[in-house]
Amino acid sequence: MGNEPAHTITRYDQELDRLRGIVARMGGLVERQTAQAITAVVNQNEEAALEPPELDPEVDALEREAEMLAIRILALRAPMAVDLRVIVAVLKMSGDLERIGDYASSIARRAGKVEVLDGAISFSALRAMARLVQENLHMAVESMVENDAERAQEVWKADTAVDELYTTMFRELVTYMMEDPRKIGPCIHLLFVAKNLERIGDHATNIAERVYYAVTGEMLPSVRPRGGAARTNIEQPE
Amino acid sequence: MSIEVPVKTAGMTQPDTAAPAKEAPHPVAMQVKGLNFYYGTSHALHDISLDFPERSVTGMIGPSGCGKSTLLRVLNRMYDLYPGQRATGEVIFDKQNILNSGVDLNVLRSRIGMVFQKPTPFPMSIYDNIAFGIRLHERVSRSEMDGRVEDALRRVALWPEVQDRLSASATALSGGQQQRLCIARTIAVRPEVILLDEPTSALDPVSTARIEELLDELKTEFTIAIVTHNMQQAARCADQVAFFYMGRLIEVDSTARMFTTPREQQTQDYITGRFG
Repeated sequence: MGNEPAHTITRYDQELDRLRGIVARMGGLVERQTAQAITAVVNQNEEAALEPPELDPEVDALEREAEMLAIRILALRAPMAVDLRVIVAVLKMSGDLERIGDYASSIARRAGKVEVLDGAISFSALRAMARLVQENLHMAVESMVENDAERAQEVWKADTAVDELYTTMFRELVTYMMEDPRKIGPCIHLLFVAKNLERIGDHATNIAERVYYAVTGEMLPSVRPRGGAARTNIEQPE
Repeated sequence: MSIEVPVKTAGMTQPDTAAPAKEAPHPVAMQVKGLNFYYGTSHALHDISLDFPERSVTGMIGPSGCGKSTLLRVLNRMYDLYPGQRATGEVIFDKQNILNSGVDLNVLRSRIGMVFQKPTPFPMSIYDNIAFGIRLHERVSRSEMDGRVEDALRRVALWPEVQDRLSASATALSGGQQQRLCIARTIAVRPEVILLDEPTSALDPVSTARIEELLDELKTEFTIAIVTHNMQQAARCADQVAFFYMGRLIEVDSTARMFTTPREQQTQDYITGRFG
């Protein structure tokens, strides 16, 4: 990807660099959004909760910019092989990144609504899940910026643990709601927080898959090793 | 990038992930084995092995001087016209090595036709341009000849444009029409293989598209080898693509695979425009 020799046409290289730059910037922004959203919920930090929705318009604008530039390059340069793979990957990854930003904003908006649960139930599963998702997202963005297929594959494998933690949280919250129906509202908000985190993890995995394809030309298997074995025991909305 | 993959040579019509599954691979119409070619002392082709599957289009790409046109000229012994040029190795066609000295070149060239970069109509009528080749190889009645000429012109979609002026000079036709006439002339003698050396490089985009469309139709009946400088053309027309560089066959694979996931770095550099 970025390690290829230069194109004969310099402008082509500049355009591809610009495209990579846009998704790298998106990656940085959504990492920030996700981190602040998690801080908002886990540490009940109201200030942190404001930032993710504020950053959203910028992420959205970058997604559109990436799309327009990618279409332009496709139309004008007729890219082939690794260039074609990178451009298609960027088109899809920018969509994934934009969704991650949306989920982070959604998490941040729920921060105030789960306050009442602080102390009542342990946030430890949520903390563990948040840490893992942040790590995976960071690795995915890094693999994207550095064209690192090996790291991309690590992300792809690591998402299983996120799924398992989500299942644990789901069970914990269902139990708690049965014990104290007055807390069902806040519990559902917390469940959405967990679900959104799990979705962020999934999009990080998607990004890793795109990176792997762009770099190697090979697709990772369509079926990932999945966690959440307990799902079979509990009726759980998807 | 996967670097450690050996260069693909003859007979490689493996299933690949980049293209939708196809029916059984076509049998091989023409097989080049260990071919070396020399212009005097200059070694132009190095140990080329390449299969041309029957009734499909093989695209040959590579920078100028890479040997792709040389190979095409070997395939119907065109090089025999020039002194000091020689080939070693084998080109198996219909169980025979056509490089052998005993091969009847007139018969060979009627079975393996060639179309050149610049349209080469003979300075005679449109009708005679087609009839000329047929007369060389066969004795046919006037009415049968009329039928053969019409059929050839119809196959290249030129008939509606020229049916009223068959006795007009072929040189009055447009460039695109002339090239289609040359293809008609080639297929009129009912060859098995058609070799095309950059057949559209002198044509405008509409004429080019017509010829490409024509190739798609002709491949249901003929084995086609096309040399092209236009990567998009290779991508549009060919079923398999062979990349040549400095007289060597670097890589051959299905077209979809070549243009999305080539195995060799040199192929990738060339098709993505990172050469030299």
